[in-house]
Amino acid sequence: MRTTAHTFWLRQRVQVWRERLNRLGRPRFVRRVGAVGFNRVTWLPGRDRAVVRSNALAQVRQKREHVARELFAARALEGSLISLAAVLGTEVRDPDGRKVGRMTDLVVRWTKSQPYPGVSSVVMRAGDDELVVGIRWVTIASPGTVRLRSSAAHVRAPERHPADVALAHDVLDRQVVDAEGLQLVRPSDVYLAHVHGRVELIGLEIGPGALLRRLGPRSLRSRMRPRHVIDWATIGSFSSPRQDGDQAGGRQADLAGRAGTGLVLNASSGEVQRWRASEVQAALEAARAGDAEQSG
Amino acid sequence: MSAVGTPASRAGKTRKLPRGLQGLLALLAVLGPGIISANAGNDAGGIITYASAGSQFGYRTLFLMVLVTVALVVVQEMCSRLGAYTGEGLGALIREQFPLRSGATAMALLFIANAGLTVSEFAGIGGAMEIFGVSRYVAVPVALIGIWGVTVMGSYSRVQRVFLVMGLVFLTYPIAAVLGHPHWGTVASNLLLPHFLHSKAFLFLAVALIGTTITPYMQFYLTSAVVDKGVTPKTYKGERIDTVNGAITGNVVSIFIIIATAAAIGGTGPLTSIGQAAGALKPVAGAAASQLFAVGLLGASLLAATVVPLSTAYAISETAGVERSLSRTLRQAPFFYGLFTVQLVVGAAIALAPGNLVSLVINAQVLNGFITPVILAYILILANRRSVLGRAANGPMFRAVATVCVGVVSILSAVVLVQTVAGWF
Repeated sequence: MRTTAHTFWLRQRVQVWRERLNRLGRPRFVRRVGAVGFNRVTWLPGRDRAVVRSNALAQVRQKREHVARELFAARALEGSLISLAAVLGTEVRDPDGRKVGRMTDLVVRWTKSQPYPGVSSVVMRAGDDELVVGIRWVTIASPGTVRLRSSAAHVRAPERHPADVALAHDVLDRQVVDAEGLQLVRPSDVYLAHVHGRVELIGLEIGPGALLRRLGPRSLRSRMRPRHVIDWATIGSFSSPRQDGDQAGGRQADLAGRAGTGLVLNASSGEVQRWRASEVQAALEAARAGDAEQSG
Repeated sequence: MSAVGTPASRAGKTRKLPRGLQGLLALLAVLGPGIISANAGNDAGGIITYASAGSQFGYRTLFLMVLVTVALVVVQEMCSRLGAYTGEGLGALIREQFPLRSGATAMALLFIANAGLTVSEFAGIGGAMEIFGVSRYVAVPVALIGIWGVTVMGSYSRVQRVFLVMGLVFLTYPIAAVLGHPHWGTVASNLLLPHFLHSKAFLFLAVALIGTTITPYMQFYLTSAVVDKGVTPKTYKGERIDTVNGAITGNVVSIFIIIATAAAIGGTGPLTSIGQAAGALKPVAGAAASQLFAVGLLGASLLAATVVPLSTAYAISETAGVERSLSRTLRQAPFFYGLFTVQLVVGAAIALAPGNLVSLVINAQVLNGFITPVILAYILILANRRSVLGRAANGPMFRAVATVCVGVVSILSAVVLVQTVAGWF
């Protein structure tokens, strides 16, 4: 659009108003009576009405900035985070671009030594057969494309190792219970990322947004907006409501995949942090900076 | 009654009692989700359907009710088994085992259908109290507050006790039936031998009977309540007795409703309102029969007005995976109780709204006919799966019987659905 005198004037006015609003937003009208203020209308002890009003405006502005920051972080994450919901059902192609099968699951090997397990193999369906391909034959790219590295990739029949966790089957849509036994929510997406030279399980999305994303059309499925992400390191083990107690001796993945099983958090639901997009991004960047230092 | 006593401890406590009483006590100990859900099936809509069957076709539908009982027993047994062995309600299992979209669609339909049913239950409460001369504008709000208070304040075991007491009002129907002096010989022959009529009206009524006896909300409630009660594979034996006994008792009540109306006003044609049924009984069986009918309707509607929103709250909280248990406090399970409260309040408000809104919403019952086959198919598939139930999955014989039951119910529901929808144009 051409910049005419008119649009120039309009922009100026917008700028002036923006500044006025900013000034209004700042707690400028603070008039304190001693340590505790009095409400000018009711004369009850409390915060001055003017202060409250200007703080509300400041809050609105803060909120807006916050939303913008989160959106920015989410867009940045679209290039680095892998969404299980987006990966599931996509076509797996070999280097020549031929379709080999459809993704049905990602398998991680979960042992006590690693807080963030890495993907060990990929499960796909080719015709009526279910096939497993080791992760070294596959590249997984964000937000959700899978490609075979070689057309001579080693493919085997599915077989379950005791420490294996099949993410789509055992984690997605299963129950998450906190340390006090309170049922929290069902994870509607699982996030992974390239860290430490492999694809690692990062966390679980427990917000309703991911659910709507999965109900919507496929093409929008990779549009991640992480808002309530539980750090995978806070997950303790699998449990079943029908097998109470003594899980201490067992492996973490012992009950994975049984009907009615769920994940148990290490902490109570009040203590568990829910990461937003910016926090996920910060954690990822920190992990990658650590990688770079080690290799450099 | 919070937990089922082990047979040994129960036997120890009641050693000195005569054997019959011992059996009765053992039965009372396991009473619970099964009998409540089956009784909730005899709700306002159910009673009018049974009364209509009696007035239109006399005793002829009785044999059909025997067949429906078999189907109900089969379906309810699968539901309580799923709950006991997986520790998860139907909503949770559907989210875990089926594609997200189909599960979400089923849940949305259940929500709408149950909202419509809640309205009809509150309309039933209002209608029953008006027979006693109490305005619905008083009766419905009082009922609403009572239901909410009992459900939200109590633990599961206390709520269950209230439900069981409410279920006692169903004893009024056998009394009403006896007061009507039916021909017991005809009743017996109609129960044992099929007396089907070859007419479209009979088919429609048959499907309506099935549709009102085997409903989605009963199955959702039963599975979740079995979980909430804390039944495990070890204590499942007692729960199965309760489930089978409940399904049979519930249908015996329905059969008595048909007998009562058949004896009093059999052959007079279909009924359109519950007041008409009670009023029609008056000249034949005396004022007492009509009053008894109203008491039964009130209890049934109260029970169903609690169970229907509860089943929605259970199903949708389970699908989301948030805390859902009557034994939790309002603060621990805000979503569960929030959903329950919203359904209750909206249902009562629409039931009190002026105009023809009620009949409009009751049309949502058509939706029930649509989702019943879907939900039954889900139940059947889940109960067949060894990956879900392990060794407790359906055996070959049970699977065959269950498939036939679900298939017949589904086909009949589909027929009526098509006819109903075609009737709109």
